[in-house]
Amino acid sequence: MIRIFDIAFKDLLQLSRDFKTFMFLLIMPIVFTFLFGYAFGGFGGNDSDSRLPVGYISHDDNWITDELHDLLADSEVIRLEENPFLSASNFEQLVANGDLAAAIIVPDGYGRAVLKNKTIRLTVFADTGTQAWTTIEAELLTVASRVDGAVRTASILEQMDLEGVPFEYAFEQTLSAWDEPPISINETSSPAIKKEGGKNNPLAHTSPGMMLQFSIAGLLTAAQVIVTERKSRTLQRLLTTDTRRIHIVVGHHLAIFLLIFTQFTILIMFGQLVLKVDYLRLPGATLLVAFCAALCISALGLLIGILAQTEEQAISFSLIPMFVFAGLGGAWVPLEFTGKTFQIIGHLTPVAWGMDGFENICARGLGFESVLIPSAALVGYAVLFFGLAVWRLNASEEK
Amino acid sequence: MSDVPAIEVLDLQKSFGENHAVQGVSFDVKQGEIFSLLGPNGAGKTTTISMLSCLLRPNNGDARVMGHSIRSDSTGVKSVLGVVPQDIALYEDLTARENLSFWGKMYGLRGSKLKLRVDEVLDVIGLRDRANERVGKYSGGMKRRVNIGVALLHKPKVIYMDEPTVGIDPQSRRNILDSVVKLKDEGMTVLYTTHYMEEAQELSDHIGIMDHGKLIACGTGEELVKLVGQQTRIDLTLNGDGSNVMQMWQAIDGVSRVSAEDGLVSVLVADSNLVLPHLFEAAAQLSIRITSVDIREPNLEAVFLHLTGRALRD
Ligand SMILES: Nc1ncnc2c1ncn2[C@@H]1O[C@H](COP(=O)(O)OP(=O)(O)OP(=O)(O)O)[C@@H](O)[C@H]1O
Ligand SMILES: [Mg+2]
Repeated sequence: MIRIFDIAFKDLLQLSRDFKTFMFLLIMPIVFTFLFGYAFGGFGGNDSDSRLPVGYISHDDNWITDELHDLLADSEVIRLEENPFLSASNFEQLVANGDLAAAIIVPDGYGRAVLKNKTIRLTVFADTGTQAWTTIEAELLTVASRVDGAVRTASILEQMDLEGVPFEYAFEQTLSAWDEPPISINETSSPAIKKEGGKNNPLAHTSPGMMLQFSIAGLLTAAQVIVTERKSRTLQRLLTTDTRRIHIVVGHHLAIFLLIFTQFTILIMFGQLVLKVDYLRLPGATLLVAFCAALCISALGLLIGILAQTEEQAISFSLIPMFVFAGLGGAWVPLEFTGKTFQIIGHLTPVAWGMDGFENICARGLGFESVLIPSAALVGYAVLFFGLAVWRLNASEEK
Repeated sequence: MSDVPAIEVLDLQKSFGENHAVQGVSFDVKQGEIFSLLGPNGAGKTTTISMLSCLLRPNNGDARVMGHSIRSDSTGVKSVLGVVPQDIALYEDLTARENLSFWGKMYGLRGSKLKLRVDEVLDVIGLRDRANERVGKYSGGMKRRVNIGVALLHKPKVIYMDEPTVGIDPQSRRNILDSVVKLKDEGMTVLYTTHYMEEAQELSDHIGIMDHGKLIACGTGEELVKLVGQQTRIDLTLNGDGSNVMQMWQAIDGVSRVSAEDGLVSVLVADSNLVLPHLFEAAAQLSIRITSVDIREPNLEAVFLHLTGRALRD
């Protein structure tokens, strides 16, 4: 067992011989955090949009529900915030924090119930004492009754049995007849609470983004240690001692983990103290996400080290996931700015989960529970990468 | 205990696809002796060593190292073993001391005992004063010495050395050969591979000659040499016509054959010390000058030639 630590220590000793690279891995993310941070600051983020942010989750799969969604999305007073990876309770918390003015949950069976003229309610979280709520309530009632009214009219037309007029056509026609609804609420001043730092600090996104991206860059050297060990036949030699194979693998994993975790710690402290990104709002949650992300990325490094045949391959095998995972995972452009499809594709990469974890803490202001699912996903990826690494190692050594 | 062979090899076989690298090799190595596997490139020496150190699984056959089977008790085998691999297997970005210290831990040494052994081994390999330099900056010979040193740290009962003297200068080579003999004096059993027949002849108690994956002969140096007979060959070059002198030499007692090829005259004799003066005497009588003499005692080179029809080194 203790040999795991011996091997990890040896790896770190080798890595420390390349001190310049380690500094590079600290300086680059800081430089890029500023670059991206100012780029997004320049976009102005949400500032140009004065509509009220309203969360939206649909548990229903029906074309009537899609119509409701489209009407809400086109609203002039509310702006829908959708994120398939946030739960109803996450939204509830965002409302409580004032990050959202309200949140709408469409229950399962909503569309069918409307079509059958049954009474069904949308669930809405809101602080009903605010003026924003009055505005949103009116808009919601308008939209919901437009849908409802259109359904009724269409079914009346259908009952009249007009030849060649299908229900959906009648519905669309009726709905568009409401395009100029009798009630239209004009924007009053937006009371959605703006918080200090947090949401408006563009660095709250780029700081974790660059941190995750450059932790993958660190694999470039870490994976090389493993490749060199195999190429120089020191791995073979290790196997002539009575050191167990699994201890060798875990030792390497531990070394990379410590490297990345150190990198995280330094960058988180830098983010907290200099960039004013509030990682330490929930120190336990930040620790958990950093731990799981380091575990996951170091397992990826282990896998790269075992797959790569040459040092050059170790470099490209590290750079490719760095760009792909960082790009798709939302380390550069927040996934909220992209569509639903991109959000789902993005969440196939571990980086997106790491981003969710950190952003739930320092950008969205959510509670500790909000990092549990991202952390679990990261650990899941860690197990996957580690399993693949062990499997590949056994397959390549078995002769 | 000491009558149990240190290494007992029974019909080991290993193929890489169509390449039958080792084809049924059997031999015993006694405790405390130096046993050499002598053979040209590709003979299957490293493959045999790899099987004996549990890195490769044999297709057939088994071996016991200090009584532990390589098939069923690899942990037992590894616990009595030190291996010096043919390729230098060290961490080049660590210093010699750091390398030895790491490998010592991998062999289960800790604390003050580890420190003591690292220092002792640094003395043995003569690198104490340069112990804190990175191995990557060492010369080939120095790396070889560290490569050997690693396997000595835990004082194994059995040590395998796979061509430890390849590609180094004569002085380092001398050092290494001397230290191998020292290991034997300390009671270790050494399995040594080489394609230099002089090394095998000088070091070994027993020698196995390998070719094309087979052990074609096995015994002490003397026993092997007897296979080609006891005759010494004397090669001479002459200035002038040698045909008369060759007839005179043929008549000398103790000369069994005289032949000439490309201006080189070869005389096969039982004992060169007795015959050589007579050769010079006869040449002087005919006023023929002998310009060079080369005495070739029977050696493993000749044995290999005799057994395979090929020279050991092409
Ligand atoms: N891992 C391997 N895969 C395929 N073939 C191999 C492998 N290892 C060795 N061989 C083949 O097995 C044969 C014996 O090789 P081996 O390395 O045992 O020879 P050797 O006696 O150690 O030679 P040398 O003096 O060059 O080190 C060679 O033909 C070699 O090509
Ligand atoms: Mg070899």
